Amino acid sequence: MVKEIERVGIPVVHVCTVTPISMTVGANRIVPAIAIPYPLGNPTLDVKEEKQLRRKILNTALEALSTEVDGQTIFEVK
Amino acid sequence: MKLELGCIKIRDIMFADKSEIRDGILYVNAKELEQIVLEDEHISAVGFDIARPGESVRITPVKDVIQPRAKVEGGGDMFPGVVTKVATVGSGKTHVLDGAAVVTVGKIVGFQEGIIDMTGIGADYTPFSKTNNLVVDFSPKENLTANEYEKAIRVAGLKVAYALGKLGVSHTPDETKTYEYSSIIEGSKLYPDLPRVGYVMMLQSQGLLHDTYVYGVDMKLSLTTMLSPTEVMDGAILSGNCVSACDKNTTYHHQNNPVIEDLFAEHGKTLNFAAMIITNENVFLADKERSSDWSAKLVDYLDLDGVIISQEGFGNPDTDLIMNCVKIEKTGTKTVIITDEYAGREGTSQSLADADPLADALVTAGNANQVITLPKLDRVIGTLDFTEKIAGGFAGSLEADGSITVEIQAITGATNELGFNRMSAR
Repeated sequence: MVKEIERVGIPVVHVCTVTPISMTVGANRIVPAIAIPYPLGNPTLDVKEEKQLRRKILNTALEALSTEVDGQTIFEVK
Repeated sequence: MKLELGCIKIRDIMFADKSEIRDGILYVNAKELEQIVLEDEHISAVGFDIARPGESVRITPVKDVIQPRAKVEGGGDMFPGVVTKVATVGSGKTHVLDGAAVVTVGKIVGFQEGIIDMTGIGADYTPFSKTNNLVVDFSPKENLTANEYEKAIRVAGLKVAYALGKLGVSHTPDETKTYEYSSIIEGSKLYPDLPRVGYVMMLQSQGLLHDTYVYGVDMKLSLTTMLSPTEVMDGAILSGNCVSACDKNTTYHHQNNPVIEDLFAEHGKTLNFAAMIITNENVFLADKERSSDWSAKLVDYLDLDGVIISQEGFGNPDTDLIMNCVKIEKTGTKTVIITDEYAGREGTSQSLADADPLADALVTAGNANQVITLPKLDRVIGTLDFTEKIAGGFAGSLEADGSITVEIQAITGATNELGFNRMSAR
């Protein structure tokens, strides 16, 4: 899906836990997620901490989307 | 460590007033077994049934398959850390009820439980169509969590297998096999000219219905470690998982691991079976990196020449597999990986989710997406209620005439990644 959407000229950020698979399938902008069963959150955190975490992942993804890349790039969540 | 496996051939199972083994027949008093199962307060009722090779019987949804075994001599007892106390097993004598199996079924826990057909084309895809099966059908109490229910039936199945295994302790085995495992230094001295080969076994460890227990330890909480392959024969590694039915390692697979069997068969002839390493397949990327780093460190430390790596499950564990393979190759050790494929129903898609040029020697156990139609069978043990929900099933799987169209993913053991089946491809 990442590759097909990029093929029509729309940049894509792939947020995923297992970044090596994302590299293998050929995504250009990759943001590491948390874990396989809960990629975009962390149920072990309390609600407030989890919201912050989710926002950080989203902001990193938005930043990646607006960043020029030369090749496959992993944007670490800070 | 030296282990003698005494095999008592079982050619049939029958219900009787007295539990015993006589003339190759396993007689079972179901009332006694019921009491053992109902010791667990989470289980409200249990039923027992028998399925024999060739009978027109379908068993589903299958959770685990266990071979009855018990210790006769040596430390520890069967299923240490879960059914019996924690104590090192793997030496002395163990008796095996060869030809018998305990199959656990019951209301579904997840969607990853399987089908065993005792006859027809489906029987060709599962090794458990060739065993005489005592099927244990559990009913849980109401309002249990999925975890409570899963644990209760997992342990109860093992207790039943242990109780049956103990019936064989005083019998003279029909056949005895001996397995001897030396220390690292002793082994090198014994066979200085043979290549030192290790086995890296990957164990599912991704949470409910994806776990494996080693001496009772949930493997996701462990780092990569080592044990003697004879310990595995004595029930040190237990299935707590129902990945996809086709490529989960049931407890029976662990007890009869064919990679271990074959490495022992070649030990001292073409190779020196030097070490067995077990590692996990966790849900965090950092865990995957850490565990595969550890596999490679141990392989390097043990100075192995070659390693066989077996995977369990598919999808993200393909990354654990490739990480193990690549990192071990980079220590200068040759690898062969054993896996299966999810190449789509036509077999034309990419087979593994991850890949690397260093993974250049691979044994495949088949394409789990292959579609098959299983004919209606006369009797169902368990229930067909979940046929369209289990992995490999889909809306419309269950036909009005009682036949079932599924991917072979739904058949227990169909593409087992220890190679415990006859399917492969070149």
